[in-house]
Amino acid sequence: MFAFAVARRYLLSNPAQTALLIAGVALGVTAFVFITALIQGLAIRLTDDVTANSAHVSLEPLTRVARVLPSPDADVASVALVSTFQRRQIRAWASTVALLRSQASVSAISPQISGSAFLVKGEAVAPVAVTAIDPSGLDAISPISTEIVRGDAGLGADGILIGVRLAENLGLSAGQPVLFRTDRGIDRLLTVRGIFETGLQSLDERVAYLSLQTARPLFRLPEGVTNIEVKLVDPHRAREVAAFLHEATGLRATSWQESNANLENGLAAQAQTGTLIQTFSLISVLIGISSALSLSANRHRGEIGIMRAFGVSKRFIASVFVLQGLLIGMVGAGIGCAAGFALCSWLATLTKPDGSMVLPIAPSEGGYIAVIVLTTLGAVLASVIPARSAARLDPLEAIQQ
Amino acid sequence: MSAVLDARGIGMTFRNGDEPTDVLKGVDLMLEPGELAALLGASGSGKSTLLSIVGLLLRPTTGTITIAGQPIEGLSEVERALFRNRRLGFIFQFHHLLPDFTATENVAFPAAAPAGGISPAMRSRARDLLARVGLADRMDFPATRLSGGQKQRVAIARALMNNPELVLADEPTGSLDRVAAEQVLDLMRQVNREDKATFLICTHDEQVAARCTRRITLRDGRVEGASRSDGLSG
Ligand SMILES: Nc1ncnc2c1ncn2[C@@H]1O[C@H](COP(=O)(O)OP(=O)(O)OP(=O)(O)O)[C@@H](O)[C@H]1O
Ligand SMILES: [Mg+2]
Repeated sequence: MFAFAVARRYLLSNPAQTALLIAGVALGVTAFVFITALIQGLAIRLTDDVTANSAHVSLEPLTRVARVLPSPDADVASVALVSTFQRRQIRAWASTVALLRSQASVSAISPQISGSAFLVKGEAVAPVAVTAIDPSGLDAISPISTEIVRGDAGLGADGILIGVRLAENLGLSAGQPVLFRTDRGIDRLLTVRGIFETGLQSLDERVAYLSLQTARPLFRLPEGVTNIEVKLVDPHRAREVAAFLHEATGLRATSWQESNANLENGLAAQAQTGTLIQTFSLISVLIGISSALSLSANRHRGEIGIMRAFGVSKRFIASVFVLQGLLIGMVGAGIGCAAGFALCSWLATLTKPDGSMVLPIAPSEGGYIAVIVLTTLGAVLASVIPARSAARLDPLEAIQQ
Repeated sequence: MSAVLDARGIGMTFRNGDEPTDVLKGVDLMLEPGELAALLGASGSGKSTLLSIVGLLLRPTTGTITIAGQPIEGLSEVERALFRNRRLGFIFQFHHLLPDFTATENVAFPAAAPAGGISPAMRSRARDLLARVGLADRMDFPATRLSGGQKQRVAIARALMNNPELVLADEPTGSLDRVAAEQVLDLMRQVNREDKATFLICTHDEQVAARCTRRITLRDGRVEGASRSDGLSG
């Protein structure tokens, strides 16, 4: 195509300026790729952190129980008291666990008793959130045994695992006894078997683990559990699986996304910021292309005038400039993507002394296809204005220079 | 044979703000095939304006134009462009060659641009034309590496590429020195004789006018008593 030949020669006729223009486009594309890979990487890291350390779906009884269940406690007096004192529980948890086992999407199941209690050591009293689990499934939902810094993770009878901050606050060390007082005033002397350190203040200061067996009498749940925590093969299917489990069991099923609405909102806000930066980097690229082509159209006024005088169509003139935009966009996007990938890959190798990444960047998530398509399309659009003004040049005015 | 150009009652009024200026006030101009006509007149008398109107680059305020039997009035913008491309040739004071293309490519482009590329036939015609204008040894030179006179000779070859019936030249020797101007003029005379192409050359230069077969002088917006001459060696 002759217009393409003209476009190519126009670009090559001023190599320094063309190189600068392409470098500008590539730089904008690199910025786009960097910010995309960073935001995606950050989202992946945050999501991974959450999904690695918490259940993907939590099953609990519905909050409001419409009917009054028969109480296992013979000594409670009234129906009203039954409903408040009655710990909401899943009685038929064995069948629920069986159902969960049959699901290919489920990777781990942890029936639990959750409750609150106080740990008392001398004068000191500390509230704790108690999670009672089957000792063999201690690490099913989040790794605990690997976080033990003193003692061990062996949760035998009357054993308790507490966090390092709690241990400090109460002056406890592994092997020592501690008084455990439930919210119903039941006291029991337990032994601190191990102390864990997750690095998360809320866990290290507030959470204690017991075995289910130890917890049953303390929380007066001889048979049931309060909740069943589930891990999935693919955490991103949690909403869908939760909906299914709710249908199948009648229990309230909460996906990790619902439990971490803050994270969702945070990620959405972050994505919006990213979109803003991406948009601005693209706009600056497009303004660059548009103004460079306007300058080029001006520099070639005389020839354009001659071409028009010789009856060359406006469309031909316009296509010379649109093709220049297309070439600049494609070459710039290609170079920018390559540079962005190289930059992100290099940044991904940088680690802090503790082995974690300096920037949680995901080089493969740079939005390459999107940026190539957007830049190329955008470059064509950006060249439309200079192309039109070149095509509309009055040949007489253009020639008389 | 009918006239190549038949322009009647051409009037041109420019409006600069509220002041209308009548530059042409009813020009009648007829060119027979093979004429080499000089268009003379004082600066500002409207020579370039008339040439642009005849070249379909400017629409006159009044008057009719017929070129090679084709009335121009009814043509659309696109048809006028096509007509310029097929039937007219232009030579300007400023040649404006495509700087990044060779002499051959520059000569071929009035044919190549509408066709979408340079065919071998176009290339060989362009080379023939370059040989005729004395640039056989410069055919593959980029336009930027030619002298001013050589560039203007390329521009003449370019104007002839599509075998035009009428070649319009506006001060073709205006930016050349005496020797180069002579060469360019001789070339136009030669092409005029050999190809029977009709030329309308707008010029200030008496020496140029003296070598043409006809002088047309513009004064006060009209053609002053047109007279024929045989030129010096025509
Ligand atoms: N686009 C325009 N708008 C307004 N006035 C114009 C325009 N073009 C030409 N004129 C006027 O028309 C008159 C004739 O101009 P033209 O260029 O035709 O003269 P010319 O005979 O070619 O002069 P020169 O010998 O100096 O080239 C001038 O007074 C000029 O100012
Ligand atoms: Mg003039």
